[in-house]
Amino acid sequence: MESDAQHKQSPYMLIWVVLFVLTMMEVFYAFLELPKVWLAAGLIIMAIWKALLVALYYMHLRFEPKRLWVLAASPLPLVAILLLVVLRENF
Amino acid sequence: MSTTEQGMVQKAEPGVHHDHHELPFIRQYIFSTDHKMIAKQFMFVSLFFLVVGGLLATLMRWQLGYPGQPMPGGGILPDAMMAPTPGGAVMLPEFYNSLVTMHGTIMIFFAIMPLLVGLFGNLLIPLQIGAEDMAFPRLNMASFWLAVPAGILMLASFGVEGGAAGAGWTSYAPLSASGEYTGVYLGQQLWLVSLTILGFSSLAGAVNYITTVVNMRAPGMTWFRIPLATWALFITAILVLLAIPILAGALIMLLFDQTIGTAFFLPEFDGEPLLWQHLFWFFGHPEVYILILPAMGIASEVIANRARKPIFGYHSMVLAIIAIAFLGWIVWGHHMFQSGMNPMLGTSFMISTMAIAVPSAIKTFNWLATLWKGDIHLDSPMLYALAFVSLFIIGGLSGIFMASTPVDVYIHDTYFIVAHIHYVLFGGSLFAIFAGITFWYPKMFGRLMNEPLNKVHFTLTFVLYNLVFWPMHNLGLQGMMRRIYDFTQYEYLQPLQPMNRFITTCVFLLVATQAVYAFNFFWSMFKGEKASANPWNSNGLEWTVPSPPPHGNFAETPVVHRGPYEYSSPESDTDFLPQTAPPRRQPDRPLEPTPTPEGA
Amino acid sequence: MTTSAAAVDRAPMPGMKVYNLKLGLWVFLLSEVMFFTGLIGSYIILRFAHPEHFAEPGVVLNVPLTAFNTFVLICSSVTMVKAFAAIEQGDQRGLKRWLLATIALGTFFVGVQAFEYNVLASEGFVPVAEEYHAVGRHQPLDGPAIGGPLYGSTFYAMTGFHGTHVTIGVLCLWFVFWRARKGAYSAQSFGGVEIIGLYWHFVDLVWIILFTIVYLI
Repeated sequence: MESDAQHKQSPYMLIWVVLFVLTMMEVFYAFLELPKVWLAAGLIIMAIWKALLVALYYMHLRFEPKRLWVLAASPLPLVAILLLVVLRENF
Repeated sequence: MSTTEQGMVQKAEPGVHHDHHELPFIRQYIFSTDHKMIAKQFMFVSLFFLVVGGLLATLMRWQLGYPGQPMPGGGILPDAMMAPTPGGAVMLPEFYNSLVTMHGTIMIFFAIMPLLVGLFGNLLIPLQIGAEDMAFPRLNMASFWLAVPAGILMLASFGVEGGAAGAGWTSYAPLSASGEYTGVYLGQQLWLVSLTILGFSSLAGAVNYITTVVNMRAPGMTWFRIPLATWALFITAILVLLAIPILAGALIMLLFDQTIGTAFFLPEFDGEPLLWQHLFWFFGHPEVYILILPAMGIASEVIANRARKPIFGYHSMVLAIIAIAFLGWIVWGHHMFQSGMNPMLGTSFMISTMAIAVPSAIKTFNWLATLWKGDIHLDSPMLYALAFVSLFIIGGLSGIFMASTPVDVYIHDTYFIVAHIHYVLFGGSLFAIFAGITFWYPKMFGRLMNEPLNKVHFTLTFVLYNLVFWPMHNLGLQGMMRRIYDFTQYEYLQPLQPMNRFITTCVFLLVATQAVYAFNFFWSMFKGEKASANPWNSNGLEWTVPSPPPHGNFAETPVVHRGPYEYSSPESDTDFLPQTAPPRRQPDRPLEPTPTPEGA
Repeated sequence: MTTSAAAVDRAPMPGMKVYNLKLGLWVFLLSEVMFFTGLIGSYIILRFAHPEHFAEPGVVLNVPLTAFNTFVLICSSVTMVKAFAAIEQGDQRGLKRWLLATIALGTFFVGVQAFEYNVLASEGFVPVAEEYHAVGRHQPLDGPAIGGPLYGSTFYAMTGFHGTHVTIGVLCLWFVFWRARKGAYSAQSFGGVEIIGLYWHFVDLVWIILFTIVYLI
C-alpha cells in the first residue's frame, strides 16, 4: 500500500508535461501543409494519446483491477458501430 | 457493511439500518429510500399510465371503427379535440394524430418500461441476490421522483394550445421539428422535455442496478447462480445505460431545432432528417429489447417454478440474453428499410436482424423443454407465462417477415407492423407483467390474489386480445396503413371497415375486462388470504424472508449454496430446494464408503 | 462464534473489486461517453455530409485562445489529482487548497468559453440557422459568410454541453469543498473526493477530444 501510494504519486507531474507538449504539438501540426487525411489521422492519434494518459493515470485505470478496464472500454465498440455505419450513408 | 481496498469502509446509508424505529409517514411512503417501496411506487404510477394508454387506444379505435361518426359523450372533450355535433362529437384529425403518438409514447415509456424496469428491477434485484437494498438508495428515490414530473409534463401536454405531440412516438424530423406541419407547437416541446427528464430517471436506475448486481451479491451467489429475472434486469440495465444517452442527445438536438432554430434535421438548411432516424433507432432498437428481456426473465422464473422443474439450459438462457443484447446494437436499420438509406446498409441490417432471431428461439425452445414432462400447475401465473411464450412466438415469427427487406418494403407502416408490435409488447411484455405481479404479489403485500378471478381475467383477456390483434396481420397485408385518421377515403380499403368495427368492439370489451384484474389487485390487498413467506414453494432468496420483507430484507446475510432452479432435485425431500438451504454433505463429514462388489 | 469446523464468510462476492461509489461513477461515465458520442458523432456525420458548411481551422474559431484554455483545463486536472493525493495522505489543508485551485481553474475555463461565445456571436457565428452569417476572425462584418448554419448548430451544441458539464463539475467541487471544511474526508474515507476527481478528469478527457476534432481538424 505504501509503495503503491508513492508509485501513484510520481507520474502526475510528468504526465502534465507530456500533455502540455502534446497540446503544443497538436496546434503546430494542425497548421502544416499536409493532405487532410494525414492531418486528421495525426491529430486524432495525438488526441487519443492524451486521452489515454488522462484515463490511465489521472483516472487511475492503470492501477485498477483489469475488469474495470473492460468496463471502461465497453462503449467504444458502440461508438465505432454508430459512426462507421452512419458514415456510409450517401447524404 | 464491507471493507474494501485501501481500507475504505463502506458507509451504511443513514436511515437504512435494520434496528431503527418507525419512520414518519412521509419518509416511509412518499420519499422512501427502500427499494421495495420504490418498486410499489413505480407500480402504482405505471398502472395508472397503463390505463391512460388504454383509454387513448379506445378513443383511436372509435375513430377506426366508426370513422367520422359522432362519439357518444365526446362532447366532454375540448373543441380542439372533438368537434361537437348532434349525438356527441366527431374526432378531429389532429387529435387522432396526438392519440396515436401519445398512446405509443405513454405505453412504452410510462407503462411497460417502468413496470418491467422500475417495478421488477427494484423489487427483485436486491432480494434475489441477497442484498439489504440497492447500492444507492437515495439515488433510487431520485429515480422515481424524476419520473413523476416527466409523467405530469406528458399529460399536461394534452391541455396546451395545439394539443399533445402528434408526430408519432418516433417523432421523425422534419415533421416533428416544425409546428407548421402538425399544428402542434408547445405540445411537441413538452414531449421532448418530458422524455429527457425520464431519461435521467432511467439512467439513475441503470447505474444503481448495475452497481448492485456486480458488487452486492451475497456470499455464494456466483454469476451463474443468479436467477434469470435478475440476469435479464442486469443486462437490460446495461442497455438502458448505453442507449438512453443517444436518445437524449437526439431529443435535445430536435428541441434546439424547434426552439432555438438550429438546423440539425431541417433540410432547408442542409440538415439531415435521416440523421434523426439513425440516432433514434440506434436507441430504439435496444429499447425494444429493454421492453422484452425482463419479461423473458419473469417468464423463466414462473415457468420453472410452476412446472416444478429446473429451467432447461440455464447457461444457454444467460448466454442468449447476452447475445440478444449484443446483437441488438447492430440491427436498428431494419426500422428504416423504406427511408431511402444506403441499400448496402439495408442488406447488412437484414442479415443481422435474421441472426438475432436465433437467441430468442433458443430461449423459446428452452421454455418448452422446461415444460416437457413437468409437474405443471396451471394456476394463473403459469397461465400468463404460457400466454407470454405462445404470443411472443407469434410476434417473433411475424418479425422474421419484416427482417427481410423486400418483404418489409411492402408491409412497412401497415397494420402488419402494428400486429407485430402488439404481439410482442402486449402478448409478450404485458402478459409477463401480469404473471410477475401475480407471482410476486404475496411478497409485496403479504396476501394472495384471488385465484378464480385471475383465471377469469386471464381467459377473457387472452381471447379478446387475440380477437383484436390477430386480424391486424390481415389488415396490414391488404394494405391498411398505420397512423391514418380515415382509411375509408381509399376505395380499396373500404371493404376492411367491418373488420375494423369488429376489432373496435373487441377493444372495448378487452379494456373493460381489465377492471377484473384491477378489482382483484386492490381487493386482495385488504381481503386476500394471508401469504406465508414462500407460498409458491420457490427456491429464490426472496422467498426466504417474510411476506412482505422487513426493512433491510435479511436478518443476517444469506449464504448461497446452489443455483435457483433445483426443483424436483434428488437432494431434496420435497420438490424444491432453496438456494440457501445448507448442503446435504458437510465438508468436514466423510462420504459414506463405496460398497465393494462381492468377490472382488 | 460458530460450532461448525469453518466459520461462514459473510462478505459479499468480490464483484468489480472497487467500492460501490467508484463503480457507480465509472458506470455513469459510460453513459456520458454515449451522450457525447451522439453529439460529436452527429457533428462528424454532418461534416462529412456537407463539408461546405464548415471552415478550416482558425478561420472562424480562435485556436490560440482555446489552446490556452485547453491547457488551463489540463492544469485543473493536475490540481484535482493533487487534491486527491493530499487526502490519501490525510492532508486536510492540502485537500482544501488544491480543491480551490481546481475550482478556480474550472471557473476560468468556463469564463473564457463564455467570452469566446460572445466574440463569435458578434462575428455572426451563431447557432440560429436563419441568422448565421459568420464572417470569420478579424474580418469586416459585412463580408461574405464563411461556412453554413450546420457549423453554428453543431459547434454550440457540443461545446455548450461540455461547458454545462464543466459548470456542474464546478458546483460539485464546491459541494465537496464544503464537505471537506466540515471534516467529512480522511485518509480512510475519501470516496467523495475520488469520484468528483474521476468526473472532473472525464470532463477534461472529453475536451481533449472535442478541442482536436472541432478546433484543429
